[in-house]
Amino acid sequence: MIGQLYIEGDLRVGGVVEGEVEATGDVEIDDLAKVKASVAGRDVSIRGQVNGAIVARKRLVVARSGSLVGDVRVQRLVIQDGASFSGKVSMGAAAEAPAAVAPPPKPVAQEPDIPLMVEAPARIVAAPVVVAPVVATPIAPSRAAQVRPRANDRKDRKAKAMPPKVKPKPKRR
Amino acid sequence: METQEAVAESTPMEGTGQSDSKRDGLKKFTLGPNDSLEGKLTYDGHMTVDGGHAEGEFRIGGNIEIGNGTVVKALLEGSNVTIKGEVEGKLTARDKLTLGKAAKLNGDVQVRRLQIEDGATLNGYVRMGDFEQQAGS
Repeated sequence: MIGQLYIEGDLRVGGVVEGEVEATGDVEIDDLAKVKASVAGRDVSIRGQVNGAIVARKRLVVARSGSLVGDVRVQRLVIQDGASFSGKVSMGAAAEAPAAVAPPPKPVAQEPDIPLMVEAPARIVAAPVVVAPVVATPIAPSRAAQVRPRANDRKDRKAKAMPPKVKPKPKRR
Repeated sequence: METQEAVAESTPMEGTGQSDSKRDGLKKFTLGPNDSLEGKLTYDGHMTVDGGHAEGEFRIGGNIEIGNGTVVKALLEGSNVTIKGEVEGKLTARDKLTLGKAAKLNGDVQVRRLQIEDGATLNGYVRMGDFEQQAGS
């Protein structure tokens, strides 16, 4: 996915994302994910590769397998041994005030466009971006549709607008 | 004779105690609650600050450990650096930096490996990666 994504609820990223990502809930970035975007969320956990600024209103966890390059503004920070991280860290009281308003962190997407899309790992079964538990916030689907994808992203958009409900297949007897 | 091996890990020594003892072949000294160190120190053993006062510039060949509740204002350089107290100043860990639960670190950091436990506070730039002979700074 390339573009901006704003979601009310939790977000799980399993593929390639470029641009800007913001969720009111938690953001999880899976092992195979490659994210070149600013990411904002409540709890943010990184197990894949992220290049961009992070704002975590609560806690940021960079797991063993995670790699993060970018500035970080968080309330609490955990970095597990083995993780790789470079960037500026602002934490505690200093970080809280601006983070609460959640201004868009400086755009990271200025770097030369690299066609990362091509590499999207085919193994990932679900759409690259999956809205996880939307259940609690009924408004989510409509808000999720605020996604402004660029050109070839129609499919992604559909996937997001419709949370991954299991469609009951009409079984014939 | 003295039983320095055993004493070295947990401080209480009589007198104004800098204890010098060996640990994995390297010297080791500890700044206890009544000890104070100000200035420039180059030392090729391990260093522990546990309650003492330390300020300045410490280039340590071995490991550095800053104990719980200890405040250190210094440029620190060591192999493995473990912080459980508060540190203000630039820090270089040639191997690994560990920030414990109650740790507070204010300053830029250059490390090879980094581990931060939940509850620790860090403010500053983090640079990670292998070292290309950054002797100077």
